Amino acid sequence: MNDMTRIDALHPGASMHLAEVKAGELSRREFLTRTTALGVSAVAAYGLLGLDAPAQAADVKVGGVVRVAMETKAMKDPRLADWPQIANVYRGWLEYLVQYNPDGSFEGRLLESWEANADATGYTMKVRQGVTWNNGDAFTADDVIFNFTRWADGSVDGNAMASRFPGLTEMVAKVDAAGAAVNDEAGNPVMVTKLRDGSVVKIDDHTVELKMSISDIAVVAAISDYPAAIVHSSFKDGDDPAVNAIGTGPYVPGEMSVGQKMTIVRAPESHKWWGGVAPLDEIHYIDFGTDPSAMVNLANSDEIDMNYETTGEFIEQLNTLGWTQYEAVTASTIVCRFNSATSDLYKEKEVRSALQRAVDPAVVLELGYKGLGTTAENHHACPVHPEYAKLDPQTLDKAGVKDVLAKYNLADAEFEFISLDGGFELDTSDAVAAQLRDAGVNVKRTVMPGSTFWNDWQKYPFSSTTWNHRPLAVQNMQYAYTSTGSWNECGMANADFDAAMTAALALADGEKRREQAAILEKILQDEGYIIQPYWRSLYRHTKPNVVGAVMHPSMEHHHYLWSLA
Amino acid sequence: MLAFVIRRLGVMLVTALVLTFVVFFLTNLPPNLEKLARSEGSVRMTDAAVASWLEEHGHNGSVFYRYAEWLGAAPGWVITDEKGVTRGKCIGQRDDPAMAPKFCGVFQGNWGVSTVFKKTVLFSLGKSMAATGWLMLAVMLVMVPVALLIGVLAGMREGSRTDRVLSTFSIATSATPEYVSGVILVVLLASPATGLSPLLAEWGWIGSKTLFMGTATSAMDNITFWNFGLPVATIALYGVGYIARMTRASMTEVMTQQYIRTARLKGVGFRQVVLRHALRNAMIAPFTVIMLQFPYLLNGVVIVETLFNYKGFGWMLVTAAGNNDIEMLLGASVVAVIFVLVTQLISDIGYVFLNPRIRLG
Repeated sequence: MNDMTRIDALHPGASMHLAEVKAGELSRREFLTRTTALGVSAVAAYGLLGLDAPAQAADVKVGGVVRVAMETKAMKDPRLADWPQIANVYRGWLEYLVQYNPDGSFEGRLLESWEANADATGYTMKVRQGVTWNNGDAFTADDVIFNFTRWADGSVDGNAMASRFPGLTEMVAKVDAAGAAVNDEAGNPVMVTKLRDGSVVKIDDHTVELKMSISDIAVVAAISDYPAAIVHSSFKDGDDPAVNAIGTGPYVPGEMSVGQKMTIVRAPESHKWWGGVAPLDEIHYIDFGTDPSAMVNLANSDEIDMNYETTGEFIEQLNTLGWTQYEAVTASTIVCRFNSATSDLYKEKEVRSALQRAVDPAVVLELGYKGLGTTAENHHACPVHPEYAKLDPQTLDKAGVKDVLAKYNLADAEFEFISLDGGFELDTSDAVAAQLRDAGVNVKRTVMPGSTFWNDWQKYPFSSTTWNHRPLAVQNMQYAYTSTGSWNECGMANADFDAAMTAALALADGEKRREQAAILEKILQDEGYIIQPYWRSLYRHTKPNVVGAVMHPSMEHHHYLWSLA
Repeated sequence: MLAFVIRRLGVMLVTALVLTFVVFFLTNLPPNLEKLARSEGSVRMTDAAVASWLEEHGHNGSVFYRYAEWLGAAPGWVITDEKGVTRGKCIGQRDDPAMAPKFCGVFQGNWGVSTVFKKTVLFSLGKSMAATGWLMLAVMLVMVPVALLIGVLAGMREGSRTDRVLSTFSIATSATPEYVSGVILVVLLASPATGLSPLLAEWGWIGSKTLFMGTATSAMDNITFWNFGLPVATIALYGVGYIARMTRASMTEVMTQQYIRTARLKGVGFRQVVLRHALRNAMIAPFTVIMLQFPYLLNGVVIVETLFNYKGFGWMLVTAAGNNDIEMLLGASVVAVIFVLVTQLISDIGYVFLNPRIRLG
């Protein structure tokens, strides 16, 4: 395969990027994303790198069993699922409309395609044809509408999906079993979400239209999340999905013992899966508890073929065993931010920016997170985000900080930096503080336990905060850096940023949003409110003969891609 | 004798009733119910959602009435929610509510459904008791003969060097709790980095990287010496020391008796004296101790099964308690009561056979 790839037959951009990889200017991951975006096939792109493309459909061996060490938690009505581990089991037979891929793209599964209108207030969804449930029913637009109705139903306690469709739902008074209105302690009626009539419309058997009251680009992200598994119309509120398991997927549940073992096995021959043949015959999830050191012992004694997640020192130990390491770059991160609303020290943009540029992200990554991630660029948009735009690299300037501080009479000022008292949060904050001290800044470190730290996390003048992975960059930016953001912890209020955000949120097209994202990133970086040193990586290990079981930023297991070599 | 057994069974029934009510009361305290709602509903539920979840799943009302529901002395709860779906204690997923029985408690043979394991309590109990049964059997097979041997050897010549060595060993093991000895055994024998395993692997004596396996999960399907050895050794070690000390004490006392001296003076060999004259009389005290060891084992497996990830009764108890699984805990306490009282009954009856001076009545 490798020597047959003739580079001059491919897009001219491919050879340019290949040269960049060889010069060390471009990572492999970025190379793949960019060249495949140019229309180079994944196989050819891997070939240029001298690698074999993963999971080539043609020569995948069918058959075999893979044993996975993972907690086997009790099954739940999918919209109530509160852990990815629960979803990873029912994923065997329940599928999703859209799948979030490790490279940050969205892929239609039960949807063939979707299209948003220009201001993202309406979506036309094409339902995949030829999909059948394993009881023989055809999968149609009605099933999609049934599931949207279920997701939007806020009267179900613990429904994780209910709040995710502000444009599709309306608020109604909650009623109890007898039909009487439910009131809260103050005597006001309890309001819950419900699908607005006419918001999800069937056009024909394979077309559904979403008509939203506001612009919302996060709909696709919401329906790809793990509680959004598509269930059959006979599914009742609160059912266990493994009992009478009707699904569209290639597997059905086998043994289901909570806390012990759960298996998914190939669906009976009568069910023809729309995706063809899933390679593995069975996947066994075995619960070995939560002790990570047990993982190494299990791998040693050949009791498992892969694990759910590898952390810390155990990454090295499993590598020593010769297991294959998979890494997912995620947008999980830590942000050290200044708050200009609660402290006068950080009112000046020049001061903030000087402090920001005194910190070398690579050093913080090494000292604070043992190098288990990738460096970030102080603007909270990650290369895995679809709208990520690469900016020109920032210039570090350790020497200039003192002059800037002197200019604003802050040369002797004490900068108190607050963080949690443990974990990578502590190490990272210490590393940032050390670099600032190197640059001649008088930093005082204060640590707090989690029980008190989080009470006032938005108000500290200078502190570090962890942020989780979200599929879209604008999601985090909107929560944290717009003047009205509910999690704005830095006091940033930039009218240009807000305007750019409004524009970005109304742009459904990822490519167009990228132009807007570049503006957002630049403003955020220049404002200097945040020192955001790195993106955390998540790791998984498999035995060398397991193919395609790559790590996913949201821990999802895509069983149909797994096989044994 | 019969009257004695019947009276014991009566005590067992009353104890089970009292204990299950105590467990029921404790698991139904409001914070525990909230924990149940959060683990069953969603950990991210609001307080209002928790209250409405509890109401919709039959957890409100008087604790006495709900206990009666569990017993089957009061009709099970039935609730029709705002969407017209009827759920109830006696109605399973996809059952027709009209066909469901009114009562479904222990009296009707229905022990309920475990909220953690999503199976009936009887099924889960059966499975976990079977697993623990194998563990206990293995422990008894190792522990009793070893302990008696050590005790008899140490006790037959009090103060000898054998006695000193064996006594030191027994005291050391009975002074080491399972969570210490288990960890020490794992470090010594089942770690690829410490203890004997790296040495043995270096010399090429073992194929894998560890001698024993550090977890016993695979023993659920297939018990081998290598996956079962450490949990069995951990429980047995503690018991060995204890029973051996008891046996030694009993043995030394018997060895000072007049009839032993008489037998020796008549020219009977030492070996004959120990085996024919001393042993049976020395066994009376250890027998009680061994029977007492059974309920203790039920205790010991909690630690060892959790440590070695063996999914038996002890592990199930920890999981059920951690998730406030009410019906599972009630079922487990009934089993525990029966287990303890039955072994004590056997111990009392066995006593009669070992010691003719004792009569039951």
